[in-house]
Amino acid sequence: MTALQGIRVIEFAQGIAGPLAAARLGQLGADVIKVERGDGDWLRHAMPRIPELGVSAAFFELNTGKRSVRLDADAGEAGRFLRALLESADVFITDQPREALLALGLDASLYGIYAPNPRLVAATISPWGETGPWRKRKGSELAVQAVAGYTRYLGVQGRPACRLGPDVAGTGTGIFTSQAILAALYARQQNGQGQHIGLSALNTLLALKSVHLAAQTNPEQYAGARVGGAHYPPERGWRTGCGNLFFAFGGSVGKGRPGWVNFIEEAGFTRLLDDPRFDKTGRNSAGYGVDAPTLKPEYEREFARYSADELVAMVRKHGGNAASYQRVDQALSHPQTQALGLLRTIPAGKDDSSTTVTVRRFPARFSRLPTDMQDAASSPGMGIRPTPPGT
Amino acid sequence: MRNQDSDDGQSRGNSVASEGNAAGPLAGLRVMDVSIMAAGPWAGALLGMLGAEVIKVESPDGDGTRFLAPTQKGMGTNYIAMNVNKKDIVLDLKSEDGLRAAHALAASSDIFVQNFRVGVVERLKLDYETLRALNPRLIYCSISGFGETGPLAKAGCADYIMQAFAGFARMNGATGDELEAFRFTGFLDLSTASVAVQAVLAALLDRARTGTGQKVEVSMLEAALEMEGTRISDYLGAGEIPHPMGSASAALVPDRAYAALDQEIFLTAHDDEEWRALCNGLGLDDAGSDARYATNEQRVAHRQDIDTMIEKVLRTRPALWWLRVMERQGVPCAIAHGFETFRHHRQIVDNGMIANVQTPDWGEVSVGGVPWHFSATPCTVATAPRPGEHTEQILRELGLYADGHGSATATTMPMANKGTTA
Repeated sequence: MTALQGIRVIEFAQGIAGPLAAARLGQLGADVIKVERGDGDWLRHAMPRIPELGVSAAFFELNTGKRSVRLDADAGEAGRFLRALLESADVFITDQPREALLALGLDASLYGIYAPNPRLVAATISPWGETGPWRKRKGSELAVQAVAGYTRYLGVQGRPACRLGPDVAGTGTGIFTSQAILAALYARQQNGQGQHIGLSALNTLLALKSVHLAAQTNPEQYAGARVGGAHYPPERGWRTGCGNLFFAFGGSVGKGRPGWVNFIEEAGFTRLLDDPRFDKTGRNSAGYGVDAPTLKPEYEREFARYSADELVAMVRKHGGNAASYQRVDQALSHPQTQALGLLRTIPAGKDDSSTTVTVRRFPARFSRLPTDMQDAASSPGMGIRPTPPGT
Repeated sequence: MRNQDSDDGQSRGNSVASEGNAAGPLAGLRVMDVSIMAAGPWAGALLGMLGAEVIKVESPDGDGTRFLAPTQKGMGTNYIAMNVNKKDIVLDLKSEDGLRAAHALAASSDIFVQNFRVGVVERLKLDYETLRALNPRLIYCSISGFGETGPLAKAGCADYIMQAFAGFARMNGATGDELEAFRFTGFLDLSTASVAVQAVLAALLDRARTGTGQKVEVSMLEAALEMEGTRISDYLGAGEIPHPMGSASAALVPDRAYAALDQEIFLTAHDDEEWRALCNGLGLDDAGSDARYATNEQRVAHRQDIDTMIEKVLRTRPALWWLRVMERQGVPCAIAHGFETFRHHRQIVDNGMIANVQTPDWGEVSVGGVPWHFSATPCTVATAPRPGEHTEQILRELGLYADGHGSATATTMPMANKGTTA
């Protein structure tokens, strides 16, 4: 028994958000049918690729365990097929614009209670929102990050912009989409009816920015970690003899004899103990402390004797928080990450068990609920065009 | 027991608008939220926006976010943003009466959210086994930094720490840089909350079938890896370790900010059609039909040539001109915005992406709008409660107010600001 056993999801979406949401529902036990047109999901053709498969690595991971349908190039046929699928589906996830869906003959009630199937939960995803002057403007991960103000928190003002390397708009929207569908399925259990849910990537990035919106509304001080903006220098933590680290002391840490003092003594940075600019809890000179930017060079002069990992161990030993800036391969092979068992290895293709690909598991651990239902499944190859159900 | 909020004539308080709260898809469910700071509290807030009745349990010392700068009329803006759509009860969980009230509340709840350091809930007798014995239908959501097992299970965590640990910061920065942390702190906290809510909802659907609750564990580490998901698959599937690329991506070309005459414009071509449209808009007809650039794979291989060619044209006119051209061509495009330029932008206002909540005590505060727009069960953002505002009401409902236990249990929070530190 799984949370979504017997639930059928039709995914007519590309890129990250829609496919991620459908993938997570699939891991919870739903039967996911991915629908593509033309050359298919653009993410298939993104880089880098899994050499043996010829599809992008991101596409592979986001589409494992799904069945694949390629719609006919003819709009009439494609529409008939899609409409037939939706009549018996529980969930529809799409990032197609309204005009495109209506052109395929879908009923406009899709944006409310879908008349041909009133139990359908339909999630539509757009870059900028369902309404408003930009409703028809195309968007992308990059464009949404820029409009949501995310690029202001990276790089140097006046120099070329930087983006967040992770696809946070697409991924964040995928998570909100999956939440919305789960919540709507819960409501359907109560009242028997489906409904429409609108989501957008810009909405996602602003929701995930709530602390910053609040901090900038009408603050009494221009202080604290949440008002730091474009004029701040790039944040790279503290340089050491080998690698950079981030560390913090203070708060509830270090009652009695401050942990910071013990750390400084063990590391042999006694010069800092006599420097009145350093408070003895370490609260103001490290982390987001008010004096951290000005005192950074003082720490770095001392830190040069150690590696980041050595200092991280010492800070933790004395009750502070610290981590070195790891690459993602280091993060994944770290004993802590390994201990959580977050990865699994699956066959790359149904007919070729010799090639395997490692992907991540559902991002949560449940005491009872099984996830990863499709351990043996692979990412869909495109191109099957089955007969529409019921015809 | 005396509730000062109701005695001092301010009982109107920052109450949650019940009509908004009753409408969401989770209407009728109760959430007990004992979490602090951001990752836990925003999970509670999301569940509240979805329509559940969320009761935030604060210690007499109060959630630390109340005292973090910046403040607005004396209240930490983080507290206001992270505790929307909640009621608030103050309980001393270390006292016998406080624990009794907490257990009664857990017994009447559907969902429990906590993010204490690993080991603390056992000490407080609010661990899963204890609460499950009281309420087998309870969904117990446990949010940690590094997970509940492993060598770092008990290590402290925060946004910047996880940005470093999980590889997040190693994916950002100018080309050639080694790393750059996202200066917008709290992003991974809120992402963790979002990942946690997804898991809670899955457990809720499971409970509808089985009648039984369960424990759900989510860590900031898992959530950070989730947000990095596509870059991690680049590594796991294709062996490519992600690195800072400025505004560009490894996935697509073109997909970056280019300097126009006056400012940068952000452009993306996801597929060959958008590529040809972009070339058409720039008057680069030859490039649009050039077989060397026909596919994304080829364009990525010719990244340098394409960037040079595009930027040469874009530099001749202002970004606004190119924005109009690209809109007409159907090419994804944008210029950058910040809080002052987007907060009243019609696109954002029309779609309710920012909620301006009216708080009786702290003035109007802008917070994130609801991320999902349900047609039949619409959600709203309701102002955060005043600390301790609902202590009396909830204790009465639990039958623990009138019997004399209340006096030792509930402490009403002084409204005076304790002072702010950065």
